[in-house]
Amino acid sequence: MPEHLTRRGDGRLITMTGKQIKDDLELGSKDAAERAKIPELTGEDLETLYEIIIDANKVVAVKHGCEVVLSADAGGSTFWIDSGTSGLGMPIERSIAQGALSERVLGLDILQFPESDGSFKPAKVIVSYLANVIHNTLHTSISPLEFMAMPNLGYFYKPDGQWPEPISLIREGKNDEARKSMEGAARECHDAIIYVAKHLRRVGVDGINIDTVGAAGDPDFYAALTATESLKKVYPDLAVQMGMATEAVHGFHTELKYAGERLAGMWPHQQLKVAEKAGVDIFGPVINTKPHLTFPWNLSRAVTFTKACVREATIPVHPNMGMGVGGVPMLETPPLDTVTRANKAMIEIAGVDGI
Amino acid sequence: MELDKLYNAILNQDVEGAVKIAEACLKAGIEPLRALDHASEAIRQVGDLYGRSEIFLPQVVLSAEAIKKVADVLLKKVPRKKRGEKAKFIIGTVEGDIHDIGKSIVATMLEAQGFDVIDLGRDVAAEKFVEAVKKHKPAFVGCSALMTTTAIAQREVIDALKEAGVRDDVKVMVGGGATTELHAKEIGADEWGADAMDAVVKAKRLLASRTCLLKK
Repeated sequence: MPEHLTRRGDGRLITMTGKQIKDDLELGSKDAAERAKIPELTGEDLETLYEIIIDANKVVAVKHGCEVVLSADAGGSTFWIDSGTSGLGMPIERSIAQGALSERVLGLDILQFPESDGSFKPAKVIVSYLANVIHNTLHTSISPLEFMAMPNLGYFYKPDGQWPEPISLIREGKNDEARKSMEGAARECHDAIIYVAKHLRRVGVDGINIDTVGAAGDPDFYAALTATESLKKVYPDLAVQMGMATEAVHGFHTELKYAGERLAGMWPHQQLKVAEKAGVDIFGPVINTKPHLTFPWNLSRAVTFTKACVREATIPVHPNMGMGVGGVPMLETPPLDTVTRANKAMIEIAGVDGI
Repeated sequence: MELDKLYNAILNQDVEGAVKIAEACLKAGIEPLRALDHASEAIRQVGDLYGRSEIFLPQVVLSAEAIKKVADVLLKKVPRKKRGEKAKFIIGTVEGDIHDIGKSIVATMLEAQGFDVIDLGRDVAAEKFVEAVKKHKPAFVGCSALMTTTAIAQREVIDALKEAGVRDDVKVMVGGGATTELHAKEIGADEWGADAMDAVVKAKRLLASRTCLLKK
């Protein structure tokens, strides 16, 4: 039986027979369906996915007419950032990188302007500087520009913040104290998001991108939802994009609810519904890649979760498709063969509106 | 009947209820180790429910607390030589990595399954692991790393243990979002945990094989 070159979830090249690939496609879809209690991919979906995976071309693309809106995590920050492991570290003016270069060189449809540290809390301190650079960026670009940061509830707990570290409290069995701490941190995070958004709105930012939501569990998600609701009351025309951190919301508080729904344990299609109720305009589900399993298994699983999300959505769905999410392997620089296949599958099978 | 009640009390995080039922089991003449087996079965079920995101860390901790107290009650009636000792498990997130949550979940699951866990925290340098091994003389060392860029520090811990001459005294387990079984083999770890429950299952398996080796 002929063998096809593909990869594992950690990016290593492997070969698989057609049957092995088909088996993994079925298993991946089944895993998602069982966990989230959603439908498996149809036979036609699996056949399309199989054809995408075994395509002999290294790079694949969507069919004509299937192009979707494209944004990139933190936009053109790749040009100027050098984190030691990623970024080009170019000596370039930030507003040019985030605006003109992102729009006219990378061809991004939505510009994402990140806080350097990536979180809302430190953005408060430098909001005047951010407002100034965003103002300049808006003058050199046409595409919608979002300010992007994470709720990152970890910054509100000791030693960085005032609230007791809740995981230690939970491990000591002090659940009531842990819950009070999480609720306090979520309130403070809500206020930080509003503060930053308010200042940046004054200089004309088009949207707020609340990213990596739920990284610190259900209170983190709660902070993002309540902040969205508050923002929409004051600025109904300010767009809010919400990108998640993980496929299932970890329950650390476990009793937090939004719109009557318990947040802990929510899967992407359920996260989407509460995000819609809060007023989110674009939702970004995250499906985690399992590095030890194959790319076909991971992609099939990611498409199954995302398709269920799209089916229930009344707002655009733009899944996260980077390193270690959306079926893309967990590798510092994700291989292009898998990135293009994962994107094509998300667009043509799951029916996403953007990437 | 009492054993089913014990199982349900642990599953439902009823710490005080579980202790009372354990005492009732003894009064009813139920063999303590048999009762403890039932309690352990409940904890295994807790692990499965956690793996399916049906219960969460706070519930796991309470169930773990319940079985600890139940074990205290039951083991008083078991001769010391039959009790066995808890295996010590040193765990930490490697240097350069501040991701704490995954490691804490594994630590909690291990505690729930009867391991004596010493948690070194996050961003732990290789030499700190070595110091802890020398001080506590554990059966296991667990290194967590969430990122591809910090997974390499797991190898540094193993190398440091070798350099200190204590590598063969412990079983080294690694895990974390960016790790794989292949990575574990390449860096010379003894085992890799895909998730919290997998880590517990494999630690128990290693413990059993280690016990066999010691007996020989």
